[in-house]
Amino acid sequence: MFGVPVSSVAQKTTSHKVVLPFYGYAAASLFAAALLILANSAAFTGHYFHPRILAITHILALGWATMIILGASHQLVPILVEGSLYSEKLAMASFILAGLGIPLLSYGFYYFEMGWPAKWGGRLVVLAILCYLINLFKSISRGKQDNVHALFVFTAGLWLFITAFFGLVLVYNFTYTLLSEDTLHYLPLHAHTGILGWFLLLVMGVASRLIPMFLISKYRNPRLLWLIYLLINTALLGFFFLYLSTVLINLIFIPALMVLAAVFLFIYYCYRAYQARLRKRVDPQVRISLFSVGLLALPWMLLLILIGLLLRNGGEQTSLALAYGFLVFFGWITAIILGMTFKTLPFIVWNKTYHHLAGIGRTPNPKDLFHDGIFRVMVLAYLAGLIFFTAGILAVQLFLLQAGAVLLLGTAALYNWNVFKLLFHKKPVT
Amino acid sequence: MNPVTNLPEKSKLALEALHQVLDPEIGLNVVDLGLIYRLDFDEEKKELFCTMTLTTSFCPMGESITFGVLQALEACFPGYAVHVGLSFDPPWSQDLISGEGLQFLNR
Repeated sequence: MFGVPVSSVAQKTTSHKVVLPFYGYAAASLFAAALLILANSAAFTGHYFHPRILAITHILALGWATMIILGASHQLVPILVEGSLYSEKLAMASFILAGLGIPLLSYGFYYFEMGWPAKWGGRLVVLAILCYLINLFKSISRGKQDNVHALFVFTAGLWLFITAFFGLVLVYNFTYTLLSEDTLHYLPLHAHTGILGWFLLLVMGVASRLIPMFLISKYRNPRLLWLIYLLINTALLGFFFLYLSTVLINLIFIPALMVLAAVFLFIYYCYRAYQARLRKRVDPQVRISLFSVGLLALPWMLLLILIGLLLRNGGEQTSLALAYGFLVFFGWITAIILGMTFKTLPFIVWNKTYHHLAGIGRTPNPKDLFHDGIFRVMVLAYLAGLIFFTAGILAVQLFLLQAGAVLLLGTAALYNWNVFKLLFHKKPVT
Repeated sequence: MNPVTNLPEKSKLALEALHQVLDPEIGLNVVDLGLIYRLDFDEEKKELFCTMTLTTSFCPMGESITFGVLQALEACFPGYAVHVGLSFDPPWSQDLISGEGLQFLNR
């Protein structure tokens, strides 16, 4: 059984030099977004099409969530496809382009300057995503394993490119009439391509591989993952078609129901993986990630209520729409990133610092490289902030919004403390 | 599961040394995790060939774990040329975890 000769030494993983800058940038973006939320809490009592809210949303969506996902996926794609990353130079190029583009774009939104800052910001972000997509395609096509996880990640990358390109068209639409309606009309399409196509598909594709791996679970169900993949992509295409066809707009609840079904199937998948785990003690980082999976259902249920109210009463449900968007970005996306950061980053740093001591000397445990107490306080501050701020949006109460914003700023500060402690970790001198 | 070997006595010593090499994520040693497949000694040439696997072929900690195995075996058998290689046939599965390993995970 074990008579097969040796193949090779361990494959080289993606260099920490490529991955770590993404983590640092994302952490700083979270802090910047939290600071702006506190400074502009009053904006969350009005309509979501507000320059400050657009700026904060793009800092969160691109600077925080997308940057950390891009960084982590340069490390994780080789695991998913069992092949090395195609190009570290392309990865660095996407970091530099996005790193320059995101502040420009956010500045453009914040001061509603749709001239060169927003346009150049958008162009740079589109180029960054193109670099990522080429890298992803080349890595997957030369990898050893074609699997459903890799397909989730690649399709998510395609949707990200479509989202960014469409976003750039919408920026141009402010100055030139490129589309038949104004930019605000197309905002739900742009937002949902990003939320469903990029974030939801990617998080599901990666988490469905990582959660069973971290739990040492025997549960595998590729057929269920295929079904989830089909449901989300069909829902997104259906949403595009129904939204643009004014006659069939009343059927828009169908794609929303399909997404909700996909979300519940994914929750079921994670639950089965949890049940079949060999590792009985689940660490706090995986626990918060599992919590985020449960949190997934919340925005989609809110979306169904929102669609129901829109179809019945007409008009705009601004508070509900804002709460939905907030729960997407500061709810499940942030929760899973808070957990997974401390499940990936300590190992990258450990590998960088203690690799040469493996097997011969005493080395710290990767999870000891960050402060566990600060991590726990961060989780509590995050949960309280999420509840207060969401309640503030729904009740249109500035006091609740401000209290929530303070807690979220605290969360961001504690997160940054631990991330930069890891990034600047040095081997103690003995 | 015990690894295949041509010298059981020396293999015991090697396994003792390899108990000190941990998978940093799981905290379990490579022997109880079932990562060691073969230990072949060539007494004439003073060489030791260790065939092992990883939980996944592009394990981010793979380099550290194989390096740890190499260093632990070199320290245990001074004067031997140690070679560590990877095999994914069969791929690692949870069934390869030893009874002690399962107990550790159940804690």
